[in-house]
Amino acid sequence: MNQMSMIAADTPIAIAGLSKIYPGQRGGTAVTALQHVDLTIRRGEFVSLLGPSGCGKSTLLSIVAGFQKASEGSVLQDGVPITGPGPSRTVVFQDYALFGWMTIQKNVEFGLKAKGMPARERAEIARALIAKVQLSGFEDKYPHEVSGGMKQRAAIARALAPDPEILLMDEPFGALDAQTRVLLQEEIARLSSDAGKTVIFVTHGIEEAVFLADRVVVMSPRPGRVREEVLVPLPRPRTAEMRADPWFVRTVKDLWDTLKPDWQKEQGQ
Amino acid sequence: MRTWRGLVGLTAFFAFWQGLTMVGIIDPFMMPSPISVIEALWEMALDGSLWINLGASLQRVLVGYAAACVVGVSLGLLCGWWRVVADFVRPVVDALRPIPPLAWIPITILWFGIGDMASYFLVFLGAVFPTFIATYTAVRGLDRNQMNAALCLGAGPRLLFADVLIPASLPIILPGLRIALGIGWACVVTAELIAAQSGLGYLIQQSRMLFQIQNVVAGMVAIGLVGLLMSLLLERLERRVNAWAPSERA
Ligand SMILES: Nc1ncnc2c1ncn2[C@@H]1O[C@H](COP(=O)(O)OP(=O)(O)OP(=O)(O)O)[C@@H](O)[C@H]1O
Ligand SMILES: [Mg+2]
Repeated sequence: MNQMSMIAADTPIAIAGLSKIYPGQRGGTAVTALQHVDLTIRRGEFVSLLGPSGCGKSTLLSIVAGFQKASEGSVLQDGVPITGPGPSRTVVFQDYALFGWMTIQKNVEFGLKAKGMPARERAEIARALIAKVQLSGFEDKYPHEVSGGMKQRAAIARALAPDPEILLMDEPFGALDAQTRVLLQEEIARLSSDAGKTVIFVTHGIEEAVFLADRVVVMSPRPGRVREEVLVPLPRPRTAEMRADPWFVRTVKDLWDTLKPDWQKEQGQ
Repeated sequence: MRTWRGLVGLTAFFAFWQGLTMVGIIDPFMMPSPISVIEALWEMALDGSLWINLGASLQRVLVGYAAACVVGVSLGLLCGWWRVVADFVRPVVDALRPIPPLAWIPITILWFGIGDMASYFLVFLGAVFPTFIATYTAVRGLDRNQMNAALCLGAGPRLLFADVLIPASLPIILPGLRIALGIGWACVVTAELIAAQSGLGYLIQQSRMLFQIQNVVAGMVAIGLVGLLMSLLLERLERRVNAWAPSERA
């Protein structure tokens, strides 16, 4: 094995010199959402992407997902350029994006059906995943019949079903109430370390970012760049008590102090 | 409960009408009473003319409407999915749409003569635009995130179409199809007034020439009731198919 592929093997995602410029609509000015972002993500790593609103977090995530193209720079998965969406990089959306016309069971099965897996087998795998996200008994409910937290659990199960290499989450808990949010954070901590998945997790929440991640990537206001990276030394899986750890408390406070001016500016606009 | 209210509404309408003719506010020659209309309907049902003409109208509306659905839905899907196609097609559709089917009658007779083909064509013209607009609107309005979710889960074109695009669009397409059927039904009668030798529209026209005013109104009542029935049936189907959609959960 040559050196290139050894590097590739350890870095499922390598972003280099990534810029994204949205051309202005009808004579409006173009928006530079991302400017020269460099970011390498290791296999099995949980990376939180933190930054003020509009700094391009969602843009970055959707480029990694393959929904959008970069204006400049390269995004490689295992050394191969990403050209479009695919089941090795599944996404959990803030608004769940569940298929309302399918039961939760069918939603979770969707990615397996896309693979061409026989009905029997995919039903079994989906049931196991539904159990894992603690939704057993709700298989035959439709998304509109369950709570927001349950919808997001279902969406997580659906994203895990095709056994992706990388899980991309864009403020997945943004629409949930505080208690549900905390519960789901703990669950994602457990699920991701159990499954050993590589995760990119976009959030506004500093606590959440630190609690979940191996590494917190802080982005600067628009145009988005990587401004700071914080390695989180807490062991995995993360548990509720770690929120009281002195290192955790201090790091959250430091990050808050760093980001406060940006948020204040955002409020003032 | 809802059906019951609907029946009360209809009964009240006919009672009010009957009252007006009985008091003498309306000249029975200008507007026969509901009871005499029902008598006329009964007679036409007995001598079979009602069924023959109703059958002719239904057959025409079904053919024209089916063609409109096929063309309208396909074109709507194409335009909704590919912006470029819409750029070419939309102006044509929007220019043809304001021309009422009635205005098409002369040219329709020129092209197809008097007969079934003319009626099919007019029904088609009346129904195709609402079908197209509904489908186009539905596809345009699809949730980008849902599409992206399907794509990142590995959906190919077939799965995307059958399991995502179509079911996600039905809550908007089906009401459009229902409205289109109503319009098609109105168009078939219009066509038959002028360009046919049978059908409920033809029956009305014939009765007018024979001064059988109660038969004219009986024909109108039959048209209204059949239209109501069609609409109710399709609405039922819609409820079942779109049970999951917010619009069906009031
Ligand atoms: N499709 C688009 N067309 C034009 N501009 C866009 C588009 N998507 C995003 N932008 C702009 O790019 C910038 C970055 O947007 P993005 O949604 O990536 O930010 P974000 O960090 O996810 O913000 P938030 O925290 O509010 O979700 C914003 O200024 C936004 O207005
Ligand atoms: Mg965002």
